[in-house]
Amino acid sequence: MNKTKGISIIVIIGLIVLILLAQSGKLFGGKAATEEPEMQHYTATFLDIFDTRTEIVGFATNEDEFRKQADIVKERLVFYNNLYDIYNDYEGVNNIKTINDNAGIAPVEVDDEIIALLKFSKEMYDETDGRVNVAMGSVLSIWHEYREYGSENPERAALPKLEELQAAAEHTNIEDLIIDEDAHTVYLADPEMSLDVGSTGKGFACQRVMDYCREQGMDHLLLSLGGNISGIGTRYDGTPFRVAIQNPDMDSDEEYIEKLDLEDGQCVVSSGDYQRYYVVDDKVYCHIINPDTLFPADTFAAVSILTKDSGEADALSTALYTMSLEDGMAFVNGRDDIEAMWVFHDGKKVYSDHFEESTVK
Amino acid sequence: MKRNDLILIIVILVLTFGFVIYSGFRQSRRVVDHPMAVVTVDGVEYGRYPLDEDRNERIELENGAYNVLTISNGEAYISEASCRDQICVHHFHTHYAGDTIVCLPNKVVVEIVGGEEDDIDAATH
Repeated sequence: MNKTKGISIIVIIGLIVLILLAQSGKLFGGKAATEEPEMQHYTATFLDIFDTRTEIVGFATNEDEFRKQADIVKERLVFYNNLYDIYNDYEGVNNIKTINDNAGIAPVEVDDEIIALLKFSKEMYDETDGRVNVAMGSVLSIWHEYREYGSENPERAALPKLEELQAAAEHTNIEDLIIDEDAHTVYLADPEMSLDVGSTGKGFACQRVMDYCREQGMDHLLLSLGGNISGIGTRYDGTPFRVAIQNPDMDSDEEYIEKLDLEDGQCVVSSGDYQRYYVVDDKVYCHIINPDTLFPADTFAAVSILTKDSGEADALSTALYTMSLEDGMAFVNGRDDIEAMWVFHDGKKVYSDHFEESTVK
Repeated sequence: MKRNDLILIIVILVLTFGFVIYSGFRQSRRVVDHPMAVVTVDGVEYGRYPLDEDRNERIELENGAYNVLTISNGEAYISEASCRDQICVHHFHTHYAGDTIVCLPNKVVVEIVGGEEDDIDAATH
């Protein structure tokens, strides 16, 4: 064996290694990533939390790093999803459904995050003179059944009878929701009563998760939990997160009716009749029920709220959706930390005093 | 060094550079503007379809449900679906990078990857 042969063998082996590197993309891709760790914009979409669509928007140098952030957020969201569920049981978890199942039977020991939600929901009841009432489950479940059936069988879609709704409305007294903080229990004193946290649960969970992320030191993060949008900080380049409000008129060419720039910690929520609804005799019946009439509200196509707390934003968008414009306007302008926009079915928009300070011109 | 060794080295060099150029090209194509509609079903990628080719793609699910993805004039939308809420069908046509059309009942997501970006981070719905 001579020297040149040895050299050529080494050269060939070297070249083979080069090929493998080139093929795996490490030769170029690896170099580029280590030389300039540029912050990239990522979005993660989940469809399995709170029966809605969740989007997490964040910044990271690579996808794995972003995944880690998104997984922390998702894990927290799943925790709240299971606690605040009124339809499903989860092994080893006492949730809102467990409380409902034990109405008139026994107090249920629950996680403090359930106690926190229900206390918050009672505050919202007081603040909105009962327009946000998580004790309205008996009425809302009737509408839920008719809406489900009517969506599956459009030709046989029907409205519930007023007497049926009125009978159910006898069992919606929020005073029968008994919270014992020391014993960590919740008890529904009226056996016919049930909780439906549809107007507060998602928003409250969104806020709690974002508070947690802030404690963990996360920044430049935006969470959209089925349209409950809440941000931490700004985009990585320092510009504010920009959020669009969907046009409730789905036949329009304009996808959005407004764009908002969010300050740190600001939240946006819209309530409307264009996503969850069913149709009876050509009339649209949405999922938001007016506690006075016991029928779906229909004054507005949508109401959007801008405020610093996602739970409050969620509850108040539901409350304002069932109020008259005058009452809602007086309510919002009486508080300096809440702004609102009402959209009528003809596309007309009405703003509270300072809402337009956040809109993108 | 024998003549055959030399030929072998040249062949390997050509192959190497071929690979390097090809993989570089593939990577740049992934980031450079070539908008695609990426369809996932329950988190698993189903297919990717360029926005510059008009087409109707029937996305078939195992349980018999379906969504029809239509690409026309550089925009993607769901033209037909078996789901009962039809929210995906009512969704606006989309072509901006990061835009998504979601069909919750069928767990189908159409996401636009690459191409022109719009200025918003999220939308209420």
